This record gives sequence, structure tokens and C-alpha cells, in this order.
Amino acid sequence: MKLKDLRGSISEFWNEFRKVKSGLVGLGIFVFFLLLLIFEPVLAPFSETNTRWRDISYWDDNPQSAYPIWVNFFSAKKYAKSSVLKDPQVSEEAFGTNRMMTYTFEYDYQYDIAPSDLILKIQGTGAAMMDLTFTRPDGETVYLTSSNLKMVEGGVSRISVDKGSKSEAYDFLGGFESRDNMRKFQRSSIKPAAILFAKAQENMLIDPEPLKGKYTIQAAILLQRPEDTISNVELVVPGRVFGLLGTDAFKRDLFSGVLAGIKWALLIGLLTAIVSVMVGVIYGVISAYLGGWKDSAMQRVFEVFNSIPLLPVLIVMSAVFKPSIWNLILIMCIFYWTGSVKTVRSMGLQIKEETFIEATRALGASNFRIIFKHIIPLIIPYSFASMALFIPGAIVYEASISLLGLGDATIVTWGQILRDAYTGGAVINGIWWWVIPPGLMIAIMGMSFAFIGFALDKILHPKLRTR
Amino acid sequence: MYWKYVIKRVINGIVIYIILIFIFSALFNMQMEQTVRAQIDEVVKGEVMAQSTSGKWTPEQLMNWSKERKVYYTELYNLNKPVFERIVTRAVDTILFRYGKSTIIKSAFGERDVVKIIFETVPRTLLLFGTAAIIDVILGILIGIKKAQKPGKGFDKGTSIATMIVFGMPSWWLGMLMIMFFVYIIKVFPSGGMHSTPPPAGFMYHLDTLWHLTLPVLTLVIIGFWGRAFLIRNIVLSVLQDDYIMSARARGIPERKVLFGHALRTAAPPIVTMALLSLLVSVSGGILFESIFSWPGMGNLYWISVEQSDIPVLMGDLSFSTGLYICGLVILDLIYGFLDPRIKVGGKA
Repeated sequence: MKLKDLRGSISEFWNEFRKVKSGLVGLGIFVFFLLLLIFEPVLAPFSETNTRWRDISYWDDNPQSAYPIWVNFFSAKKYAKSSVLKDPQVSEEAFGTNRMMTYTFEYDYQYDIAPSDLILKIQGTGAAMMDLTFTRPDGETVYLTSSNLKMVEGGVSRISVDKGSKSEAYDFLGGFESRDNMRKFQRSSIKPAAILFAKAQENMLIDPEPLKGKYTIQAAILLQRPEDTISNVELVVPGRVFGLLGTDAFKRDLFSGVLAGIKWALLIGLLTAIVSVMVGVIYGVISAYLGGWKDSAMQRVFEVFNSIPLLPVLIVMSAVFKPSIWNLILIMCIFYWTGSVKTVRSMGLQIKEETFIEATRALGASNFRIIFKHIIPLIIPYSFASMALFIPGAIVYEASISLLGLGDATIVTWGQILRDAYTGGAVINGIWWWVIPPGLMIAIMGMSFAFIGFALDKILHPKLRTR
Repeated sequence: MYWKYVIKRVINGIVIYIILIFIFSALFNMQMEQTVRAQIDEVVKGEVMAQSTSGKWTPEQLMNWSKERKVYYTELYNLNKPVFERIVTRAVDTILFRYGKSTIIKSAFGERDVVKIIFETVPRTLLLFGTAAIIDVILGILIGIKKAQKPGKGFDKGTSIATMIVFGMPSWWLGMLMIMFFVYIIKVFPSGGMHSTPPPAGFMYHLDTLWHLTLPVLTLVIIGFWGRAFLIRNIVLSVLQDDYIMSARARGIPERKVLFGHALRTAAPPIVTMALLSLLVSVSGGILFESIFSWPGMGNLYWISVEQSDIPVLMGDLSFSTGLYICGLVILDLIYGFLDPRIKVGGKA
């Protein structure tokens, strides 16, 4: 086939395809996915999602189970956004060999629901003493913690108010809250951040009213040796909303995860569908062309493969062999190719009798040449439809295997996010932003290929067209 | 003639089943033997413990005895034979439903016989997916015929788009959403399982089952019936384009009668096949769906046996579902041949 012919047939095909609106929609969604895939490094807020998805320390600064950021548009009460305060005011005082470094952060709080935590991050070397004070707009001051820091080169010390200052917050609470309410809560079960950002009055524990305004957080660090240093002091405020899709119970940013899943879903779907349909086409054509006992034998083998319940076999093979994603794709191809054999064989039987095949044979062409050069190119266009319709199935199979916890643990797929959501209690606790996005992505990707596939089917098999 | 075809098809199915079981045995032989060895070790350890507490034997005697017992069991389970022979015996055992004993999972009566564990779950799976398939097909026929009546119009197009929207949707994901909404937000349905604990007695028992059945069946139907309607539309549409329908309409036969009497009659065989095939596919493809609803069927058994890595149950479940699947395929062919006399019985495929 010459290049010119190819271009001609493609433009002809495109003219046909353009008329089917649903097909165009499907193509549009597919292109959108491709764009997301290409721009993933730019779009993803966390650049190391692919390699450190299961590394808890990477996600430590994020809030836990935070709503998506757009929830604030729909909710009457505004949830605190997550932020990082990077430029504190620094002052230094020297007492002989001791130095007192004071870092002052200003936090403007204008929300209704308090952030979930306050985390101070310090880098440096040597040992130091640190006092953390918290000054509220109403003039109250809370001493949050005093701790000894032991810092090593390259490491980061983290001081979490939520973990370390429960006692102090409880004592602060004691000045305002009624005794009855105090008794309802244990010292260890309160949320310090919620108290610190609430108006100091009765019921502030049970029904906190937000105290808006400028808060000051002061970290006073005492360095005892001249060679000790302090650098990069940051205050992380993990809010109640985070990112486009929120975070899960392991503090991971779900938007990054969902974005990272796109390439694997596309890879699994496209590779499995293309390889298995191609195998099916070749198998069907060879079977039809050879005929006789070879055809019968090949049909028997086909029947055996066709009688295998796919998902159970996939589950058991994954459970026993623990395959990587590539092996899983291979296994799926081994069992998935049978779908297109029957139609291809019947088409092959027709084409085989055409005169041009006879002529080619008379010219002395080998069987191999006839099959691959003359018959298969005629059938390939018809197999595009079944390729597109195979893709969603392959994606769902991978997701099902992952849901069982048998997926490849070195990558991030939508099925694995759903697995984490299911085992992490997202369904019971109503963390909908953990369950809906990955599944919706599977459904939308399946839908786009269904649109494309049905459109191709309509063009290639005009019999079903509505008269 | 038909009986000849029946026998041929049944034998064909059995042969395929046997071949598949051999393939599975060969594939998973290593894993199965590891489990059996572990089980033997456990049994021997128990026996030695029992002997040592009686205090009659010296440690040396105990050691020897434990070795003897190990050899005895190794011979009993054919572990000392060559690999090929082991695979053959395993396959034969599996074909004869001798699946062995489970390592952890127990049946409702506390038995560790894999066959009993599996037989317990089969009717539950059939109940769930059977109910869903029946509702699916009834809805599918009604909507499919409506679609075929006015092809290309708004209703037809709308429902076709819905078909494609649910095309790649995992049923278990929709199940999660349904549970989240109907169980935890508006508390209408139970969160899962088949009965309340403790199960009520008498007639209430069945009502209770029905109540637990509603949500999973609803989910399956929502996912399933669009596709069913789409296929039925295509089948009925091609029938409606036949000449005899035109002549029936020309004779003034009421449209209802044309649709349900003439068209549906001819379209019945493919519809029945399709309904059965969809039941088969949904059982084999939606098995994980059960575990989301903690429905104690065969699919849930896969989940549990994977979680607890109970290999004998996993293998037994696989063999049995393969058998069921092949049974379904055979029945499908037989019904098709029975319903549609145009199928040449005994002819070449």
C-alpha cells in the first residue's frame, strides 16, 4: 500500500467517523486523557508520586482525610486551607556562648473550621532547646511545648502540635470551659488545633466558634554551642481541605495519585487490547486459511481457551505467582485473545475464496505472504472496533485484581487507590472523595473507548445502521 | 438427530473441562504441594506431641517415629512419585471433586472439607446473580423493544449513551457507592451479608433475605440492563426489517401483536442465549462484587481465600467455577439448538 493511498483511506475514514457524534465525544475524552498524561509532570502537585506513593514520610505534611478544596464553594462554613509559612521574622540574641534565635510566624486565620494541626519543621545541626508560644488575636497566649531538639545534618525535626501539645491545650481549655463539658473528654482525646482557633468561651470544646484574626506563633530556640546551626524553619498548617481531590487517610494527595494512574490504565488497556486482538486476528485467519484438519485442531484449542472463566483464573494466577504489571498484561493477553477469533475466521473464510487470492497463489506466493500481506490487512480495520471495546474490560480486570490486593505494588493504579480506600474504611466513614474519583476515572475511560468502539462498529458494520 | 448433538456437545464440554483441569494442575502443582507438605508437618507435629505427653517414649524414639510418620504421609499423598504422575493424580482428584482439606477456612458447620465449603456458597451466588439476571432481561426486553420501535430517536439514543456510560464501570465500584449512600447516609439497607444476626425464624427469614438481597441486585441491574437493552434492540431491529413484519403491519395487525407475537417470537433464541451468556459473564466477571456486599457466595470465597492465602480452597473454587462456566456454555448451545430449528444439527461448524 502506498503512502498516498493510506492518506486517502484515512481521510475517507475520518469523514465517516466525523458524522458519528458519540465517537467524536469519545475521541475528545481520549485526547483529554492523553493531554493529562503528557502534562502530568507539570500538573501533579507532588512530583515524586510515582516512586514514593507508599512512602508515608513523603506525605507527612499533608492533612489527613482532608476534603477537596472546592468543597468550600458549596459549604456555608469555610474549611481552613492548607498552607506553609516560610518566611518567619528572625531575631538573634547572644548570651555568652549561648544564642537565642526567635522565629515569629504570623498566621491570618479567616475560616470557620480550624486546621487539623500545626507542624514546625526545623533543619540544622547539634542540640537545641525550643519553646513554642501561640498568641491569639484576643490576647491569650498559650505555651504549646518546650522540647529538646537533636538535629542531624540533612534531617528534618518535626514538632506537631496535634501530637505534642494535647496537655497544654487541655489546660488552656480549663480556664474557660465548664466542668461538665470537660468531663466528657479525656486529656488525650482532644484536638488541640480546634481549641486553639476557637473563641475562648463556654462550649468551645463541643461547639467551637471560630476566632478570626491574626495569630502569632513564636519559636524560641536556644543554641548552646557556637558550631550549632539552624536553618529552614517552616510552619506547616495542614488544613481541612487540600488539593483538587483531597487527601486520603494516609495523607496522600489523591489528585496526584489519580493523575499517576492514567498512564497505567492506558498502558494496560491499549497494550492488552492491541496484542490480544492482533493474536486473535492472526489465529483466526491462519485457521481459516489452512482449513482441513489444521483448522479443526486450531478450533479445538480455541474452544479450550474460550471456556476459561477469565477473572477467576486471573485471580488465582496473581495470587500464586504475584506477577508484576508486565506479567499481568502478558497473562491477560494469553487468556483474552479468544474474543475476536470467531468473526475473524468467518471473514477469513470468505476472503480466502476471492479471485485475487487465487491469482496470488498462482503467482507462487507463499502461504505466509498471502496471510500477512493480503488477508490480514483487509481484516485489520474491522478489528479496530473490537480493540476499542476490549480496552475497558482489561482496565477493569486489572482494577479487580488490585482490589484484591494482588496488584503490582511498585506502581500506582486506580484499582490500588480503591483497594486502599476500601480497606481504609472510606466507605464506612463516608470519605467519598477517596472512592469516587478513581472509580469515576475507570468509568470515564471505559466510556470513552466504548464511544469510540461503538462508533467504529457503526461505520464498519453498516448493517446495524438505523434505516 | 438432536440427541446426537446433545451427546456430542456434552462430551465436548467434559473433554474441555478435563483438559483445563490438567492445565491448572500443572500450573499450580508447586503451590499445592507446598500446602500439602505444610499440612503434613502440622499433622505429624500434633501426633508427636500427643505421644510425648504420654511420656513412654524416649526423645530418640520420638524422632524416629516422626520421621516414619512423615514418610508415611508423603507416600499417602504421592509426594514421592515423579512430577508428572503427581500432576496426573492431582488432576484426577480434582475431576472427582476430591479437593482436599482447607488450611484455615471452615464451612458453616465447622468442616474443613473444601467441597463442602464450596457447595455451601454455590446456591447463594446463583440466587444473587440469577435474580439480577431475571430482572435485567425483563427490563432489557421492555426497553430494547421500545428502542427498536423508533431507532435513532431521542429515547433510543439516550439509552444507548447510558449503555456506553456504564460499559467500563466496575460493578464493585458502583456497589461501594451504593453502600455509602444507602447504608451509611440514608440508612435504608443493611451493610451486607445475607441475613441479620441472629436470623429471624419462619416467614420473616425469607423477607430478611430479600431485604439483604435488594441492594446488590439493584446495583447489578443498574449496571447490567442497559447493555441487555442495547443488544435486544439490535436483535429485534434486524427482525423488524424482515418482510413478514412489513406484511403483518400491512394486514393491519395491531402493533403490540406485531412486536410481541411476530418479532419477539423470532428474536427469542438469540435473546435467551444472550440472557444466559450474560448470567455466565456476570457470574465470572463480577465475582468480586459479592465481597463488597459481604455476600457469602463463591466470589466472596475467592476474596477470603486470597486474604488468608488458603490455597486448597482457592484451587477448589477455581476448578468448580470453571466447571460451572463450561456447564453454562454447553447448556447455552443446547438451548440454542433446541429453540432455533434453523441451526443445522450435526453439520460442520
